[in-house]
Amino acid sequence: MNSIIITRAGTHSTIQDFGRFQYQHLGVSPSGAMDQRIITELQKIIPNHQNQFLEFAYVGPSIKVTEGSVKICVGGNCNMSIQKNNNSQLEYQPYKSINLFEGDELIIHNTIDSVYGYIAFEHGLGLEPCLNSYSTDTKAGIGSINRPLNDEDIFNISKDVSSWDLISIPKPDLEKATNFKVYPGPQLQYFSDNTLQSFISSVFTITNQSDRMGIRLKGESLISSESHDILSEGILPGSIQVPSDGQPIVLMRDIPCTGGYPKIAILNEEDISRISQLPPETKITFDLQTIY
Amino acid sequence: MYFKGINSYGDRGLVLDFGNETSKSISQEVNEVFLNISNLNLQSLNIIPSFNKIVVIFENSKIRDQNKDKISLKMKDTNSQTNKKINKTWEIPACYNEDFALDIKIIQKLHQITKEEVVNLHSSVRYYTYYIGFMPGFPYLGDVPSQLITPRLATPRVKIPARSIGIAKNHTCIYPKVSPGGWNIIGQIPFDIFDLQSSYPSLFLPGDEVKFYAVSLSEFKKIKKHNFSLNELIKEYSS
Repeated sequence: MNSIIITRAGTHSTIQDFGRFQYQHLGVSPSGAMDQRIITELQKIIPNHQNQFLEFAYVGPSIKVTEGSVKICVGGNCNMSIQKNNNSQLEYQPYKSINLFEGDELIIHNTIDSVYGYIAFEHGLGLEPCLNSYSTDTKAGIGSINRPLNDEDIFNISKDVSSWDLISIPKPDLEKATNFKVYPGPQLQYFSDNTLQSFISSVFTITNQSDRMGIRLKGESLISSESHDILSEGILPGSIQVPSDGQPIVLMRDIPCTGGYPKIAILNEEDISRISQLPPETKITFDLQTIY
Repeated sequence: MYFKGINSYGDRGLVLDFGNETSKSISQEVNEVFLNISNLNLQSLNIIPSFNKIVVIFENSKIRDQNKDKISLKMKDTNSQTNKKINKTWEIPACYNEDFALDIKIIQKLHQITKEEVVNLHSSVRYYTYYIGFMPGFPYLGDVPSQLITPRLATPRVKIPARSIGIAKNHTCIYPKVSPGGWNIIGQIPFDIFDLQSSYPSLFLPGDEVKFYAVSLSEFKKIKKHNFSLNELIKEYSS
């Protein structure tokens, strides 16, 4: 048996995968990793990850091996180190697999110029899926672990490390541009040409009222010429909805399953990952695509 | 036919549009189409019905475009009827005891009726399940009798007890678990309606018919003790 313990949970640490699908008509959100580009990269290094990735935001977790050994890989832009069991410190860079032995502790201090980071574990974390997914939706209380991770959480990984060989890939060039091409939303016609002009010509700021459910933006007020209250309908991540205060919200992975605000536009899938990594105060702009 | 057409939703979604009105007959068509396209085995990630729309979500625009024709063909096939009757009719015990009926006085006062009248009216109607949304397993039921139509609470409650029955506008609902919310709470049911251990975790499906019947507090406690599983609830309370 191989065991690890969370010695410091960090902020907003949860288990995530590529998402939980086929249940949104029962009120279950898709969830899944905020930056799916990173877990896609980590798959190349730890192919047998069992879809049980640890996601963290801003302050990362620390994990210690209490028994046996585990192979892990961190993805994202992080400030971190490894405290070896003989008290020496090891430099560690993301996108390189590493074997941790009993007493070794991985300490992730924080993410740098970004928000989310990930840890992949060979053979996963010994978890059972919930509705065919390992993702956590803390608001709905759904997941193989239905809450954020806590200090002292223990994971048992029954399979041993397959090989001591280490793999690394070049640090992926994850686009950080702050201009977003968006497609028309289902209620685009709720906004006048003038308002649409402000939407594409002005600058919006990401606020700190942003989480896995949505990113709230601050900027020019986008007031609908029709209504800010529509009959609830199905929504998907990346949709930009505008409540009556005119300040847009980009809906993220833990979306409510239906929504009653008009949606002016929607991001493409790749850009949901990109926008998730932009910290509060980042200025962004939108470019409306007409053909899609 | 209320169906108006299929529109794009961004680069990877489709919206089946059934107009801007809401009624039981529109929802019956929506829910029938929902079953029909669910049976097409599309390469979709989610199919989400609501009052007058069905949103279908795909992984990317290529898969979306490949699947759009299948949906269009199905919508043109006017002979396609849902043969399997999968919707259920439920008789659900409800306790309107004052411990649970946190906002019943608001409804009494608004409509100048007694508590008994609220209970009798609420339990007199066979409700239609418009769709499931807001939170896992939360059924939007309607329509409530006109003497019960009541706006949402001005200030939403931070913590509504699990299994509470609510009324807002012309809809009634059951909160599957503890949640913030703005519905007027008038009672409670004695069992869970969403169970993650079940392969089909929601007790209610869009299109189900739901009727409540009033039970005493002691009867409520007796049923609660059983801790019925979803399968047992289906046997006990549906036909």
